[in-house]
Amino acid sequence: MIRMDSTENLSVLAAEIRYIVTDMICRAGSGHIGGSLSIVEILLALYYRVMRTNPADLNDPRRDRLVLSKGHAGPALYAVLAHKGIIPFDWLATLNKPGTRLPSHVDRRTPGVEMTAGSLGQGLSAACGMALAAQKTSPASRVFCIIGDGESQEGQVWEAALFAAHRKLSNLVGITDYNGMQIDGTCDEVMSLGDLEAKWRSFDWDTVTVDGHDIPALIAAFKPVASAARPRMVIARTVKARGNACFEGQVGSHHIRIADDAARKKYLEGVSGASRTLPY
Amino acid sequence: MLHEKEMRAVYAETLIALMNDDSSVYCLEADLGKSSGTFPGVCSAHPDRFIQMGIAEANMIGVAAGLAAEGMKPFCASFSAFASRRCYDQITVSVAYSGLNVKIIGTAPGVTQAFNGGTHMCFQDLAIMRAMPGITVLSPADAYELRAMLRWMHAHEGPVYLQLMREKYAPIFDDSYSFNPGSSVVLSRGADVALITTGLTTQYAVEAVRTLAAEGISAYHLHCGSVKPLDAEAVIAAARAAKSVITVENQNIIGGLGSAVCEALAEAHPVRVKRVGIADVFGEVGPAAYLAQKHGIDANGIVAAVREVMSGR
Repeated sequence: MIRMDSTENLSVLAAEIRYIVTDMICRAGSGHIGGSLSIVEILLALYYRVMRTNPADLNDPRRDRLVLSKGHAGPALYAVLAHKGIIPFDWLATLNKPGTRLPSHVDRRTPGVEMTAGSLGQGLSAACGMALAAQKTSPASRVFCIIGDGESQEGQVWEAALFAAHRKLSNLVGITDYNGMQIDGTCDEVMSLGDLEAKWRSFDWDTVTVDGHDIPALIAAFKPVASAARPRMVIARTVKARGNACFEGQVGSHHIRIADDAARKKYLEGVSGASRTLPY
Repeated sequence: MLHEKEMRAVYAETLIALMNDDSSVYCLEADLGKSSGTFPGVCSAHPDRFIQMGIAEANMIGVAAGLAAEGMKPFCASFSAFASRRCYDQITVSVAYSGLNVKIIGTAPGVTQAFNGGTHMCFQDLAIMRAMPGITVLSPADAYELRAMLRWMHAHEGPVYLQLMREKYAPIFDDSYSFNPGSSVVLSRGADVALITTGLTTQYAVEAVRTLAAEGISAYHLHCGSVKPLDAEAVIAAARAAKSVITVENQNIIGGLGSAVCEALAEAHPVRVKRVGIADVFGEVGPAAYLAQKHGIDANGIVAAVREVMSGR
């Protein structure tokens, strides 16, 4: 196991997670690799530096919550949950297999997954509800919610944005995985988001834009702001399929199919910096 | 004679009583609190747990799902059109598929939407909610049943959709009524025809049964306050007891109570069934009584349907 006492080591772990995610998707035969690989540093910053978690008691009311609203990035979350000891490593080989506990889109029946998501646009609303409840039951808990940039085309996201600001949900942190791409093309081709930071600011969210692969910058952005009486939006500039040379920065990486063992070998070789050993 | 209270007032007072006893109960409204009866009463009684969502039903359901994930018991209300079809995917994924304990109140069902007209008039909520796995679908016939159902909903762990007529209606039950999910109520016994109704049409059918009795026609009247689960045994018993079966509903005849009854009978006791309801058309503006008459679901319409069936037409 890699020791997690420095951000350098988290960067090493990021490469291992990317290798595992690529392997999981290759074993499944298909999957959402692009949006999984773009959030790896976000997840590591949250799970190893920011969020209060308790693997021994997943229902600990004092824990911080994460809603992965872009539910198709499940493989990345599963790999991190396994590294945290919340789910067994050998589950990772079962992604999308019959009877698996790890479906392509996240499901709250999986240990460590706080909310089911996949039908885009719904997770931020649920995160608002959790943050609202936490204000009463666990005031120190924070709720994080990762949404996609393409997902931000859903109107419900902006309903939730209004609500969170209206209720001054200062225990809520939204994170936009701004990789600039979606299924049918770039976001600018499909449906321009315009100035996303200005939009969130105008919705009265405390908004900051960071490099979504810079772990220290992410940690700083996720830290609670004592004076803030409103929700925070961290716009994380990311690269789709980051860290896998076969797919990095390509629109087609949203969902891939793996034709044969030769493709699998090639895709695994596309991951840079990993030890190339699997813990399962 | 009508009950002294509007059904929406009973919704609000019951919710306040539940909130008094249980700090996990929340009331969510999407700018229709006055219509549902909860504003300002519930808001005044429990301002910290009356959550005004604004005109954003999809977010209301999502926030309710998040509250439920934290162990809360949110009751969300809106017009039945917006509480069901407008946020159907949110209810499907964030609530029912997620197995979360969210209660949804669809107000002003069917023709009772009256003067808001066709845009607001929902004839399909029983059908679409019934087609969703894991959710209970209820349509109370009077204030007593509403109160009992709300108490049951509070105690029950799981999503429920309930149709709420807002106005005053005649009492059918009394304070002794207790609700059991999946069990129906025989309101009258007879051998000539079996009437199977829910919600508003139970009100109309009680009147129709009296008219029919005066004509010498004995009607078996089964009220299915729970549309899902449906009390199939009682439906079969009704079909066995009478010569013919008529379903009556304040909904499209496609997918609602009539369809549920036909499904139950087709599998266990195949008989002819006449479905009285909205004949696969959209709603329109007008008084509820006018619309009920137009669609043949009021007492006169039910009597006419019985005569038609009994004459073999």
